Amino acid sequence: MSKLLKLTALMVLAILFLVACNGGNGNDASGEDVDDPETTSETIGDGDVELVFWEFGNTGYDKLIEEYVADNPHISINLQNSDMNDVHDNLFTSVSSGSGAPDIAMVEEAQIERYRNAEDAFNNLYDLGAESVVDNYLDWVFQNGESADGSFLFGLPTDIGPTVMFYRTDVFEEAGFDSSPEAVSELVSTWEDFESVAREINEETGKLMADAGELVFNARRDQATQQYFNEDDELIIDDHPQIREAYDYVANLFDEELVGDIPLWTPEWFAGMEEGTYATMLAPAWMQGQIKDNSPEEGVWSITTMPEGAGNWGGSYLTVPSESEHAEEAYQFIEWLTAPEQQLKAFLGYGLFPSSPQVYEMPEFMDYEDEYFGGIATAQVFSEAAQQVIPVYKGRLYYPVDEELKQAIDNISAGDDRDEEWEAAIQRIERILQR
Amino acid sequence: MSTKEVGEGKFSVKKFFVYFVLVGGALVSLFPFYYMFVMATRLNREINTVPPPFTPGTHLVENFQKVTDNIDFFGAMGNSLYVATTVTVGTLFLCSLAGYAFAKLPFKGKKVFFVMILVTMMVPPQLGLIPQYYIITALGWLNDFKAIIVPGLINAFGIFWMRQYIAEGVPYEIVEAAKIDGCSNFRIYWNVVVPMILPAFATLGIIVFMHVWNDFLWPLVVLRDPAVHTLQVALRALNDARQMDYGMIMSGTFWATVPLIFVFLMFNRLFIQSLSEGAVK
Amino acid sequence: MKMTKKANQLTETKRTTIAAYLFISPFFILFAIFGLFPMIFSFYLSFFRWDGLDPMTFNGLHNFRFIFSDPIFYSSIKNTFIIGLLGTLPQIIVSILIAFALNSALIRFRNTFRTLIFLPYITSIVAVAIIFGLVFNNQPFGFANYILSFFDAGPIRWSAEYWPVKFAIATMVFWRWVGYNTIIFLAGMQSISKELYEAAKIDGATIGQQLRLITLPMLKPIVMFVVFTSTIGSLQLFTEPLIFLGRGLREEGITVVAYLWRDAFVYNTFGTASAAAIVLFVIIITLTAINLGLSNLIGRSKRKVS
Repeated sequence: MSKLLKLTALMVLAILFLVACNGGNGNDASGEDVDDPETTSETIGDGDVELVFWEFGNTGYDKLIEEYVADNPHISINLQNSDMNDVHDNLFTSVSSGSGAPDIAMVEEAQIERYRNAEDAFNNLYDLGAESVVDNYLDWVFQNGESADGSFLFGLPTDIGPTVMFYRTDVFEEAGFDSSPEAVSELVSTWEDFESVAREINEETGKLMADAGELVFNARRDQATQQYFNEDDELIIDDHPQIREAYDYVANLFDEELVGDIPLWTPEWFAGMEEGTYATMLAPAWMQGQIKDNSPEEGVWSITTMPEGAGNWGGSYLTVPSESEHAEEAYQFIEWLTAPEQQLKAFLGYGLFPSSPQVYEMPEFMDYEDEYFGGIATAQVFSEAAQQVIPVYKGRLYYPVDEELKQAIDNISAGDDRDEEWEAAIQRIERILQR
Repeated sequence: MSTKEVGEGKFSVKKFFVYFVLVGGALVSLFPFYYMFVMATRLNREINTVPPPFTPGTHLVENFQKVTDNIDFFGAMGNSLYVATTVTVGTLFLCSLAGYAFAKLPFKGKKVFFVMILVTMMVPPQLGLIPQYYIITALGWLNDFKAIIVPGLINAFGIFWMRQYIAEGVPYEIVEAAKIDGCSNFRIYWNVVVPMILPAFATLGIIVFMHVWNDFLWPLVVLRDPAVHTLQVALRALNDARQMDYGMIMSGTFWATVPLIFVFLMFNRLFIQSLSEGAVK
Repeated sequence: MKMTKKANQLTETKRTTIAAYLFISPFFILFAIFGLFPMIFSFYLSFFRWDGLDPMTFNGLHNFRFIFSDPIFYSSIKNTFIIGLLGTLPQIIVSILIAFALNSALIRFRNTFRTLIFLPYITSIVAVAIIFGLVFNNQPFGFANYILSFFDAGPIRWSAEYWPVKFAIATMVFWRWVGYNTIIFLAGMQSISKELYEAAKIDGATIGQQLRLITLPMLKPIVMFVVFTSTIGSLQLFTEPLIFLGRGLREEGITVVAYLWRDAFVYNTFGTASAAAIVLFVIIITLTAINLGLSNLIGRSKRKVS
């Protein structure tokens, strides 16, 4: 028996070894990899001033950095790529204990709320010259990187995630609708339309209008002019009707069984993209990667504007922690990296949707078409959405509060009473605030 | 292994039942591990179907190539091997030494010290992160393997385990006899006790090695520079911000786990060796 | 002659004491550096309000008052006990049985079985999360719900209903740790002399009797060890609820450590998190004391009977 085990062991080792060699050779010799892999870390350039740069995701910044260090030979940049949550957790630990932070840290749009009270830990980019580039970015994006009173700037925006309506052309056609983006945009131009179209689609095809309550709620929430907190960080969720309206809207859709309860990021959710379990997905620009990956057939999914406006989900900022000994150089670099020309390159190369409206005017951007989505100029649909986003104050505990509402929505999807669940969620939220 | 042992006999219903339960249990244990392999051989899209695929696909090599394109897999494996081996050897030594003292040596305050060790196990470790990080930066051990190895040697569980095993597994008379022969305490430990507690070493060794190898929470915090990343930390970098390629991630994870099976088998041999020696005794 | 021997013994005791202190000192020195400060820091923090970034502000007993007025904290304690009992007690019994089977020559392919049973301990948590997500899926096609449908039982929302959540998490705990404890029991069984079994067999003892009359009594110290560590482990249960429930950590399944982790790293309220940690620490100490007292009592009464 142990012989057999040893044999298997040897075999596995051999495979491991072969695979490894294969991987190595494939890289060096043939150079067949078109989209040049980005490794986790590399120091680019050999200047004396080394900037440590923490990033996450697939940004392709290594190539842009090569350009930068070529023009700025005194700089070298140590680019360290990690999991998104890990980057934020490590930044938090470093800032909290006062050592170990990098020169430049990428911070996600949602996570920046955590640092609202920690102005000491970051350089105010206004002190480093950010005043002159304010006009490079969309107002709402830029404001989100500022303190509530606008005097302190945490970071410069890189990309954003404007939300649109992805929809299944086949399902719309099956229900007897014209499935061109213009027609669908026209057909579903208000939330009332969304509900009535949902009803018709459900009657004609038996299919759901959307995957789950979450994205529908987010879409309506993001169109609210006031959300959970005011600028003094007081809870205002019950003081204005907009959030409750979004909640009731989703509850109505559940009552009529027009929306499913397929949790996001689960295998069944991904599978639903290909099977057409749901007709629309109200999601940001970066979701197109997921859709393409899971539903490879061209021309099935298309994109159009969301009813009554747009929202934003995702995107990042580049910050310069105050620990950095080269704050000036770090700032110079991030100003360059987030300038319109570089944002265009990041968009064309890696699909990072630009936060700079100047890019939207550039011909390469306007002409960007996507065969997958029926050859429409997708970039324009997204940029239209990006310009419709209304700025809103979120507050430090925005996401914990949001989480509690999502739990309430999850419960009403299973048939619980909407008023009771709302009350319970508000109570949980108030307890979070008491801590 | 040919010696006749407990319950040996011909076919019986009972035996069949035992096999049935064991095979069932083994399958249940194996399945998620097997599924790791299945995912490592498939594309993301193939994994995300309902019902999911349960047989291996054809993308084994491709997925692993993606892994090595993204991270320095073998460099990280070397780091993991170094860290896990050092911590395991160190822990086995220190824990058995302390366990021996608690089990066989009379000294003042023994009970109090032992209870103190047990109490340290009762503190939930999750909140120690920030103060511990603070100590590591104060020592200048950020991005240094010492930050994993030295705190990793603190193992109350291991001392407790060794004490329990030595107290039962090593007869008092043998220790006394060695003492009368004039052996020092350390000599007794090294020449008499250690050979008798190999099963305890094997067991603790397995547990410590696997734990260090698979741990990523703490290494993630103190090993930021990819040059010192252990495997589990390096694998985290395969997660994209929004788009998870499970085929690639599972490929990395699967091949990172395979060495553990060899380590297990290695310790298991130690275990069996000690068993046959035990039979002689 | 007698005198010198006594003198030798005296220095001998002294030497032994010094050796013993030397042998146990590494743990205490290392712990003093890396373990003590975090402990004291937690204790200190429990009287402060701190978000991890701003300066701390003293707020007396507010943190304790808060957690003791929070119904979710009580739920988390209750959940910890229920899941701990459901996941740990059957686990210990099953792992003794498996270890007994694997230790006897009754079984062929012992190495293979040993390795297989241990696999859950090293399987990637991501794979485990996906598999358990499929088994305990809320949708009708989930494996557990599919089986229930044969018994005309409606689909259960495993991630949200009171008992199903606990059952699902306990199953995961059971699955992940049964092999681990089996390995520990196996080591304990190695130190039991084979001759005892031989003698018992000659006396005509059945396997059940061998287990009951030889293995269990001889294994008592190891059983106590496992009970002790499993009790602590289940009271500190964290990973399984987190991967099963996600960062939302619903009230139905949150455990005490998950509660304090969320306070610290999601809400950034380190004060209440520390207060919860201290309450948990007190609970664990109390329980272990009772536990030790009880097993001593049982041990004594058994000895009397025999």
